[in-house]
Amino acid sequence: MAPRLSDRLIWPSISPWAHQLVNCNSAFIRAFGIRSLTPPNTSRFNVGTDLPVLKSTPTAALERKADTLPLRTGAIAIKKGMTAFYDAGTGKRIACTVLQLDRVEVISQKTRERHGYFAVQVGSGWKHPSNLTKSLLGHFSVNGVSPKRHIFEFRVQDENGLLSVGQAINADWFQEGQYVDARSNTKGKGFAGVMKRHGFGGQDRSHGVSLTHRSLGSAGPSQGGGSRVYPGKKMAGNMGNEQNTVQSLKVLKVDPQNGIVVVNGAVSGPKGCVVRIQDAIKKPWPKVVSASESAV
Amino acid sequence: MATFSPIMRQLGCLKSAAKPQSLLSAQIARRSLTTVYTPKPEPVPLPTNLPESFLSQLTPRLHPANGPKKIKIYPPPPSTRAACKDPVAAVTESQLKVLDPNGERKALFDYRRSPRSVKVGDILRVTFKNGDPFSGVCLSIRLRGIDTAFLLRNELTRVGVEMWVKVFSPTVKSVEIVQRTEKRKRRARLYYMRQPRHDMRSVENIVSNYLRQKSVLAGQRRQGGQNRRQKR
Repeated sequence: MAPRLSDRLIWPSISPWAHQLVNCNSAFIRAFGIRSLTPPNTSRFNVGTDLPVLKSTPTAALERKADTLPLRTGAIAIKKGMTAFYDAGTGKRIACTVLQLDRVEVISQKTRERHGYFAVQVGSGWKHPSNLTKSLLGHFSVNGVSPKRHIFEFRVQDENGLLSVGQAINADWFQEGQYVDARSNTKGKGFAGVMKRHGFGGQDRSHGVSLTHRSLGSAGPSQGGGSRVYPGKKMAGNMGNEQNTVQSLKVLKVDPQNGIVVVNGAVSGPKGCVVRIQDAIKKPWPKVVSASESAV
Repeated sequence: MATFSPIMRQLGCLKSAAKPQSLLSAQIARRSLTTVYTPKPEPVPLPTNLPESFLSQLTPRLHPANGPKKIKIYPPPPSTRAACKDPVAAVTESQLKVLDPNGERKALFDYRRSPRSVKVGDILRVTFKNGDPFSGVCLSIRLRGIDTAFLLRNELTRVGVEMWVKVFSPTVKSVEIVQRTEKRKRRARLYYMRQPRHDMRSVENIVSNYLRQKSVLAGQRRQGGQNRRQKR
């Protein structure tokens, strides 16, 4: 049995090819491709311009992050070690970490239109071109910067925080007295047991305990029903070498000639590790005046 | 199982010899393609100085303009890492310049280099900014740059007391050598002096004697119009 067309299409009021004829410069030309003969239905859903932003959209995500994203980009530093300062007023000793910025430059920008968010891609150090992949070399070459060893992105709130490509970020990007967040990988501890990794109490030294003095107790039942091990159960495993952020460290000293930034207190990771420092999100933003000065 | 006798094999050879030649050649012709060797065709070289009007006939890959691109590599900016190899030392140096501009305190405790420095076993008297003096026998000197410190041991109210003092701390006003040790100690850390057998007990008598002599000397000097500088 041959398929039957609906009555509307058998005797159309207008020509059935009218949809494929596009009025262009008052002369009908034929458009190609597969097109529906029926006009699109109006949506049954609530559509319009004045509707609230849906929660799972980039617009809503940016709105949520608006208060916690820094205005300015950060910098990539290398942890060089720790030393101490003496407070001039009280004479109190302040432990501090010495960070060094080495040839930090802006490699590219990420924009809302192209990538969905605003960020500055920053690189530091130098890597021999023969040790780089061709794709990365092309990326550096297109943006006109030298090959970099470390590349990271720093998200910023809006397009005002984007720096021009190739601009150097020196130590004076940060001011003495401002607060920064330092983000780095912790020291790796290898495969660690539960007592070291999660602070479990372990088991008795004696009273019949055999060979399980430092192991966890029961992993399975009576944890809220069901005789199974729940996902996320704390067990032995690899410890350390994971990213950690130390928030609100005060910048004690800045030396732009040597690229030195000294921050109060400790920063995660061993000497020589890569530390990303950016304006602290839990403190008032630093004055933007000096930022524009250093940008000039 | 039939046994394979050499006589039968000979018969088989005869059978293949008896096969007509046309059948054999047909078998060779029916060999699968993969076993036939075909040499890779040599690429025909492009004519040199090809006129531009013919370039459109070439595939884009073979256009002379579409050759492998040379990636430009930009030189790195001047390195701060090369300018300052040891930033921790640089920061410490700049701090020491403020805390100890003349290098007197450093020389006073650098027992490895300066012969007139404090040695372990010496009795020291430290005065602090808040006015509290502390004296005791020096048990150990810890040379750690800006964290250089020394350990003093004394007895207060018949209880042994020890105190670590940071040499470059601004709270330390002065350090005086009350009495040098008679014999050079053969240990770097005199922790054996904590044992009751070796304990020096209180050094208050020695210190008070020293203070008395000092005040007498200072009085004479003042009469002579001179000012004895306190050793820092």
